[in-house]
Amino acid sequence: MTAQSFEQTRRDFLVRTAATTGALVIGFKLPATVLAADGAQAPEVTHWIVIQPDDTVVIRIARSELGQGTFTGLAQLVAEELECDWSKVQPEYADVNEHVRRNRIFKDMSTGGSRGIRDSQEYVRKAGAAAREMLVAAAAQQWGVAAAECKVANSVISHPSGKRTTFGKVAAAASKLEVPADPKLKDPKDWKLIGTSPARFDIPDKTTGKQIYTADVRLPGLVHASVVQCPVFGGKLKSHDPSKVSAMRGVKRVVAGEDWVAVVADNWWRANNALKAMPVEWNVGDNGNVSSESIMQFLRTGIDANDVPVARKDGDVQSAFAGAQKVIEAEYYTPYLNHATMEPQTATALYKDDRLDVWVGTQNGEATIAAASETAGVPLENVYVHKMHAGGGFGRRGPHQEYTKQAVKIAMAMPGIPVCLQWSREEDMRQGRYRPVGIIKLRGALDAQGNWVGWHARQADQSIIVTVRPTMIKDGVDPINTRCFADNPYAVPNFTNEYAMRNTHVPPGFWRAVAHTNNPLARECFIDELALAAGKDPYQFRRPLLQGKKDLGVLDAVAKAANWAQKPARGVHRGIAVVDSYGSFTASVVEIAMKGDNTIDVQRVIVAIDCGYICHRDAVVAQVQGGVIWGLSSAMHEEITIKDGRVEQSNFSDYPVLRLAEVPPKIETILVPSGGFWGGVGEPPIGAVIPALCNALFAATGKRVRSLPLRHHGFTYAT
Amino acid sequence: MTAVTTHPAPPPQAGRRRVLRAIAAGACVALARPAEPAREHLELALRETFGQRPIRPGKVRLELPKLAESGNVVPVTISVESPMTERDHVKSIYLFAEKNPLPRILEVHIGPHNGRAQVASRVRLSTSQWVTAVAVLSDDSVWSAAREIEVTVSSCG
Repeated sequence: MTAQSFEQTRRDFLVRTAATTGALVIGFKLPATVLAADGAQAPEVTHWIVIQPDDTVVIRIARSELGQGTFTGLAQLVAEELECDWSKVQPEYADVNEHVRRNRIFKDMSTGGSRGIRDSQEYVRKAGAAAREMLVAAAAQQWGVAAAECKVANSVISHPSGKRTTFGKVAAAASKLEVPADPKLKDPKDWKLIGTSPARFDIPDKTTGKQIYTADVRLPGLVHASVVQCPVFGGKLKSHDPSKVSAMRGVKRVVAGEDWVAVVADNWWRANNALKAMPVEWNVGDNGNVSSESIMQFLRTGIDANDVPVARKDGDVQSAFAGAQKVIEAEYYTPYLNHATMEPQTATALYKDDRLDVWVGTQNGEATIAAASETAGVPLENVYVHKMHAGGGFGRRGPHQEYTKQAVKIAMAMPGIPVCLQWSREEDMRQGRYRPVGIIKLRGALDAQGNWVGWHARQADQSIIVTVRPTMIKDGVDPINTRCFADNPYAVPNFTNEYAMRNTHVPPGFWRAVAHTNNPLARECFIDELALAAGKDPYQFRRPLLQGKKDLGVLDAVAKAANWAQKPARGVHRGIAVVDSYGSFTASVVEIAMKGDNTIDVQRVIVAIDCGYICHRDAVVAQVQGGVIWGLSSAMHEEITIKDGRVEQSNFSDYPVLRLAEVPPKIETILVPSGGFWGGVGEPPIGAVIPALCNALFAATGKRVRSLPLRHHGFTYAT
Repeated sequence: MTAVTTHPAPPPQAGRRRVLRAIAAGACVALARPAEPAREHLELALRETFGQRPIRPGKVRLELPKLAESGNVVPVTISVESPMTERDHVKSIYLFAEKNPLPRILEVHIGPHNGRAQVASRVRLSTSQWVTAVAVLSDDSVWSAAREIEVTVSSCG
C-alpha cells in the first residue's frame, strides 16, 4: 500500500472484502497492484514484483520506512537485477494480510538492528534476477528464439534479429512460468544502480508536508482518542469516573483497559482535555517507591558483588594486574534515554463485520497483525494492517505494540467507527521503552613500556533481551548488552568482561544503536585514559592492537582526514574513537573549541564508515549525519529520571534534544566501503561520536567526564 | 525389540527440504541431512515422558495462533475427543515446545470428573517453532497434534 494519499474526495475505490459482496468504502488509494485498467489484477512476476501493461514496475517492500531510506534502497536492489526502467519503479509496502495468507512469503518484516538492507539484499536481488529471467524467457518463447540471445535493459527486451518488446507486454506470459530457483546475481563491479543515489521516494512529500502519517489518515466518521497509562510501570487501573467527563463537549466514550484508560471524542484536543479532567486512580504497587537514586544503589550491588557472570575471559587478568607497572581504574555511568520519536505513538483501528483494519507506522507489520489479531480475537486472515511511513522509529515501534492493542481495544468497543488513538507527548515521554541505565567499572593495566597488557570491564545494567527473547541469556550473560566488551576488537592478551544483570521495573527497549550508545563511552574514553597514563597519543596507542581488523581502516581514515599527526589549530581540541556495530566499522574524530569554561563549540565531526557494500550512497551519508546528531544530542542533553516509580520528564521542555543551532557546521562522512560484505548503516554511525566528543572535551579542559549528560557537569553547546 | 515410535513429524517446509522421519523398530533412518537439534530435543523429551509407547497423530485438537507478537504469553487450547466416562477418558494432556530450553511446558492430569478434555492456557515460547500436544487416554494409548507458530522477532536486537 503506498503510504500516500488517503483522501476520500479523490478517487474513492471500493474495497471488497472476502466475505461480503458489498463495498466497504474507506477512501484511500488502493495498492497499485489492484489498479490494472480492466480491473483484473496486474501480473506478479515473482511475488515481489508486479508489472503493469504500461511498464510500471511495482516492487513490494517488506520492511518499514522510518526515514532511513530502506523503502528506496530495497527497490534499488531489485531493480538492479531486474534491469527495469528505474523511472517507472513504484515501491509499495507488501500487504501484511496477504503475507500471512501466503505463509509469510515476504519473509522478515521487522525493521531494526540495521538489518533492512543487509538481511534482505540477497533474496530481493534474487527476486529481481528471477523476474528478469522469466520475462526474457517469455519473450524468447514468443519469438521462438533462445533466451540467451536476448538482451535486457531499461525494461526493454531485444533480440539481434530486430525483435523488441517491453516488460509490460510479456509480464502476463512471464507470470505463468516457473520461478527460477537460483538465478545468477550480478558481480558487484557490474552494478549500475546499487551504490548510486537515485531520488528517494519518501523525501519530497516529507519535505513539503504532504506526507500522510497515521494521525493524518481521514476515514468517514473518524473519532479520536487519547490515553493515559499507569504512570508507575506495572501498576493497574484501580478506578475511574467517566461521569465527570461524558457530558464534556465532543466526548463519545470512555474505554478502559487493565492499566490504561482512554477518552474518545470528536477531536483529539477534546479527548485529551476530558482525559485530564477525569478522576483516575491507580494501584501502583511496590514500584511506587523506586527512584533514580534507588536504582543507582541497585546497580551498585552489581558492581560490588563478589561473583558475577563472565561474558568473556582471555588470558589471566589477575596476573596482568599483579605484574603491571600501572593500574588505572574508572567508573562510567549512563542514564535511561527515551526514543522521543517526532511522531508520538499513534494507531488507527476500525472493526466492522468481523474485519479489523489497522493503520500504524510500525517497524514490524507482522508484530502488528499478530498483536491486533490477538487483542481483538479476530483471526489473522481477517486483519488488515496498513503500514504507514513512521515519523521516526529508532526501535520504539517494533517489539512494542501497546498503542496498536489499545487502538484495537477501543475500536472493538465501538464497532463500525474508526478510531485514531494518539498518545500525547507527555504519555509518549512517560511510557517509553527506555535505553537502559548502567554503570561500568573498568580497570586497566600497563607495563613498563606503556603497553596495554590487560583490562577488566564489569557491567551492571538492565537487560532488554530478557523481556523479549529470554533464551538468548546464557548463564546470566546478556549477549546484546555486553557488546563492545565481549566482542571488542583490541588484541590485548588479558581481558575479563563480567555482566551483572540488574533489572528494574522501568520497561527497557532497543534505543537506536542499543548497547553501542553507552558501552563505547566507557570503553573508548577509558582507552584514552590508558593512553594518557602511558604517555602515548590515543590514536597511536590504539593502532597496534587493531592490526588486521577492519576497525583500523576506519580509524586511519578519520585520523588522516583530521590531520591527526599535526597539532590542531590554536584553541581547537580533538578526540578520537573507534566502534564497530551491526556488521559495520566506524570511527570518529570530533573537533571542538571552548567558549569560556563551559560552552563547547563542536566545530567538526568526522565519521568514517565501512559497511562493505553501499546500496544508496546518499542514504548512508544521511544516516551518518543523523547518527552524529543522535549522538551529540544524548551526550549533552538527554536523561530520563525516575521518582516515585514514575518518569519525571514530560516533554521536550524537560527532555531536551539537540537543536538546529547546535548542529556542528561540519559533519564529514568518509565512506570506506571495503566490499565483500553487507554491513548495517542505520545505527553504526552513532557509536564512536560520543566518546570522541568526550575525549576532545578532556583535551580541551583536562576534565574527564564519566557520566552523561554533559549538562550535569555544567556544559552547554555553542549555538 | 523396541516398539515402533512414531510421532507427528512436521511436513516439509516450503523452501527447506525437511525430511519426514519415521523411526522404525530400533533402526536408525538415514537422513538426507543431519538431524536438527530441535527435533532431537523434542524426541528426547517425548521419550522421557512416554517411554517407548507409540505416539499417534489424531484425536487431539491444538489451537495455536499462526503468528504471535511476542513469545511471552501465547494463548493455546488443547482439546481431545473423549466421552470422559470411567471406561473411556483422557488421563493427561501435555504440551511440548521443541525449541524451549525445557520442552515439556504443560502437563495436566484429568479424569471423568472433568467432564470435558480441554485445557486452555497461555504459554511462553522462546522462538518460532513447532508445538506438539499429546494426550494419554485411559487405555494408555497416546495421541498427538502439532502446529507451527512464528514468533515475530523484536527489532534493533
